Amino acid sequence: MQLSDVSKRYDNDGPAAVDRVSLDLATGESVAVMGPSGSGKSTLLNLVAGLDRPSAGTVTVAGERIDTLSETGLARFRGRRIGMIFQFFNLLDDLTVADNVLLPAQLAGMPRARARARVGQLLEALRIERHRDAYPARLSGGERQRVAIARALVNQPDLLLADEPTGALDTATGEGICELLLDLVRSGQSMLLVTHNPDLAARCASRTIQLVDGSLVSDVRGAGVPR
Amino acid sequence: MRPGPVVRAVRGGLSRRRVQTVVIGLVVLIFTAACTLALGLLVDSSAPFDHAFAAQRGAHLATAVDLAKATPAQIAATAHLPGVTAMSGPYAEVVISGQVSLPGIPGPVRLPLVTLAGRARPGGPVDDITLDSGRWVRNPGEVVISRDLDGPTLKLGQQVTVTGVPGAPRLTVVGIAKSITDSAGGWVMPAEIAALAAHGTPPLAQVLYRFATAGTTTQVSADLAEVGAALPAGAVTGGQSYLPIRLQASESLAPIVPFVVAFGIIGLVMSVLIVSNVVSGAVVAGYRRIGILKSIGFTPAQVVAAYVGQVVFSAVIGCLAGVALGNLLSAPLLSKTANVYGVGVLTVPTWVSVLVPAAVCVLVGIAALLPALRAGRLSAIQAIATGRAPRSGRGYAAHRLLGRLRLPRPVTIGLATPFARPARTAVTLVAIVCGAGTVTFAVGLSTSLSMVAAAVSHSASEPVQIALSGGFEHKARPAAPAGPGAGQQPSPAAQQRAPQAALRAEPGTLRYVAEAVQQANVPGLAHQIPVHAFRGNATWTGYDLISGRWYRGPGEVEVPTYFLTVTGKAVGDTVTITVGGAQVPVRIVGEVFDTENRGLAMLTGWPTLARAVPGLAPQWYDVALRPGTNAQAYANAIGGKLGPGFDVSLNANDPFFLTLVGMIGILTLMLALVAGLGVLNTVVLSTRDRVHDIGVFKALGMTPRQIIVMVVCWVAGTGLAAGLLAVPAGIALHRYVLPVMAQSAGTNVPASFLHVYRLDELALLGLSGLVIAVLGALLPAGWAAKISTASALRAE
Repeated sequence: MQLSDVSKRYDNDGPAAVDRVSLDLATGESVAVMGPSGSGKSTLLNLVAGLDRPSAGTVTVAGERIDTLSETGLARFRGRRIGMIFQFFNLLDDLTVADNVLLPAQLAGMPRARARARVGQLLEALRIERHRDAYPARLSGGERQRVAIARALVNQPDLLLADEPTGALDTATGEGICELLLDLVRSGQSMLLVTHNPDLAARCASRTIQLVDGSLVSDVRGAGVPR
Repeated sequence: MRPGPVVRAVRGGLSRRRVQTVVIGLVVLIFTAACTLALGLLVDSSAPFDHAFAAQRGAHLATAVDLAKATPAQIAATAHLPGVTAMSGPYAEVVISGQVSLPGIPGPVRLPLVTLAGRARPGGPVDDITLDSGRWVRNPGEVVISRDLDGPTLKLGQQVTVTGVPGAPRLTVVGIAKSITDSAGGWVMPAEIAALAAHGTPPLAQVLYRFATAGTTTQVSADLAEVGAALPAGAVTGGQSYLPIRLQASESLAPIVPFVVAFGIIGLVMSVLIVSNVVSGAVVAGYRRIGILKSIGFTPAQVVAAYVGQVVFSAVIGCLAGVALGNLLSAPLLSKTANVYGVGVLTVPTWVSVLVPAAVCVLVGIAALLPALRAGRLSAIQAIATGRAPRSGRGYAAHRLLGRLRLPRPVTIGLATPFARPARTAVTLVAIVCGAGTVTFAVGLSTSLSMVAAAVSHSASEPVQIALSGGFEHKARPAAPAGPGAGQQPSPAAQQRAPQAALRAEPGTLRYVAEAVQQANVPGLAHQIPVHAFRGNATWTGYDLISGRWYRGPGEVEVPTYFLTVTGKAVGDTVTITVGGAQVPVRIVGEVFDTENRGLAMLTGWPTLARAVPGLAPQWYDVALRPGTNAQAYANAIGGKLGPGFDVSLNANDPFFLTLVGMIGILTLMLALVAGLGVLNTVVLSTRDRVHDIGVFKALGMTPRQIIVMVVCWVAGTGLAAGLLAVPAGIALHRYVLPVMAQSAGTNVPASFLHVYRLDELALLGLSGLVIAVLGALLPAGWAAKISTASALRAE
């Protein structure tokens, strides 16, 4: 992933939410984005995910310039290359756990049998197999986030984007999710992690960048993820 | 209650929910326009002649006065007779015979005899003539012709050569006009009358009167006698009452008005339902905001005022625009209706233009008030929760079941979504059922009306009629011009031989039958009725059987429903009729659809009538044409062969039916549009409910096209189901309404008029609900596809 001089303004006259940020992320690398509220962390994540378009600069993911893609192109890009984990899970309440996880695979056109097998694998790996026919409303916060992680991984994305993945969880549950993410990073999953939690950043990311008022103010390597 | 916060809340709501505001405004606009149009037509259809007669100050009595016997002063004095409320004239008049030249037809084409009146202006205290097109006469050599004569032979710009007078003067048609009481066939400058009169013709003038009492034939006769007595003896040579014209207009309308009434009432009921649904849906959609308003201190009364005000504001604008649109749409339709009713001008009555918007505003207010009152009683938290997302737990099974189908996931998700909001889905279903049901009903009604039109005019079965001069009544209104040579008299023997020879020689002839009519007395009936006798097989002449069978032998007859009703007879009964003094027992073997003489007529074979009328001779020939034969060309050709003494006419459908079908089309389109707007409203509400989910779908890789498919599928299943429900509902309505309305017009309907839906048509009609749903959903689906994913994910 490569961001070159990326800026994002929501209002022409207002301040930039992201101001001329340049950033590289190598394959298998895990980067934590930290900063106070309103510093532009989530906006940066949205730009990388193609959920929003930069006002200036370029965003390249997996060799593809996504800031020039059409809406359809962006949707396909997200389905194929990106997995997203949200603070509030963003599960679809009227679909079962299995159907929630299956959905990105179905949208991406993965063959039915392969998709179902992949869902089974993930539910088992994330220890939520017994909930496969349950609805999200019946699950605990930790279980919901596991479902969200499974859904993010179903298409084997090049890049995993996590926006405050433990932000809505209690400490113990957050610890479990942290362990999961750590396992993913250890397995070579590239990840951009937005968090307020320095401990999560330190454990899951090999590199931490700091944003303040939309500008990148520090880029520290070596926090280290044991491989 | 302080109005300030309420006004601000109304303003805020209007600007924030612009789509909702526009949808309510549009639905109310179309509803108001449809109501104005429908009610205007209903009112005018109920008594079009009376409306037009009053508006145009029609003449109760048109007298012909011999100017050689009465002076202008004596005539003017009749205006002051007791009982006379208005008088107009004297207008000098003359009966002319004329001819025109038509391209493609060798030689001149003779016109029927026409009475021309000399009038400098169309207006006046009596008989205000309506100018349809062109202008009124200004100079000698110009003529304005009656709308009844307008046609291919005689139209604007046509030159008419007056025959039988010195110099063969020529008149140019400069206008088409209509007198409500048919006071003349045309009008010229007063000074021109003398030049158009044949030598020795007595100077006649028409004097038109309105009286204080002229409701019955006796009263009009008394009025005529009073005028006659006031003028020198023999000065009044004749008088024409308006009552036969009024009766004729009512008779021709009788089978038609109930259809208009039925459709109008059904349209109104459907529209009321849909508007109520849309408006109450809009208030329910605002529950969350209502909760927020309450949480910041709004009282229940302020909440109710804010929401009712918000809806009523859009509705008032919609009403005003709708009533204007309704009047605008009515103008050409009512003008056509007036034209075919044979009356002058019809307009939407003022009270309709006032009552309809007022009633719609009240309706919208009530529709908004009920859910707003409910919302006002809810606690803030309840309102927010009710208005936010679909109640959890609903529609899960549908998602699970549909998810198993081998269909694209956006399709199955879309199809399952309506189950999460069953009430809203039910409202949408009802809206689409109404729209699609109207379409089904309208298709059936239009087809049935076309069949009624063809049955009344016999245009499909026997498009051409050849009349032997000698005077008789046509079965249908003569709609086409007389052919070349009309008006001259060959010998009776030649008249009998020539038509058959000409018919046999003409390649377009499929079949023909000779017909004669005699007046007969029937026990129990005060007046004589026409008995039609056919010489040969006449089963093809277009009298549709309602029950029984066609006559097979002497003494067997068919009669219309009304005959059976008023005589108390039934198929199988025998009646003894008196024709020409001879008594003829006849057995009723069939009931036919026939509106001639208000359904008091009789059809039979030649021998039945010939027994009572020695020397019974054909009076006309009914002719069926081979497929592909141009009826007008055929009539021209056969008219040319027959020469003088024969009137070749075309049986054409009363154009009123075309107008009626057009009106049904417009009303149907409007109702379908309202149903579509109901769908649009539902999808807008659902999109707002599900904006966060849409963000999630997009984040997970759902493309804009897949979003559109999903959103369209939110209502596609409902639309398909509604269409499937609407088809039997529309058919049932058609089968119920048509006979009921026909019976109110004094007739039953043949089964063939009811079984009008073809299988392929039904299949298409079954999809009409889907079409309405998809068209209604496309626009908001496009909006949903364009929602910014990041913003949608931030939405609560």
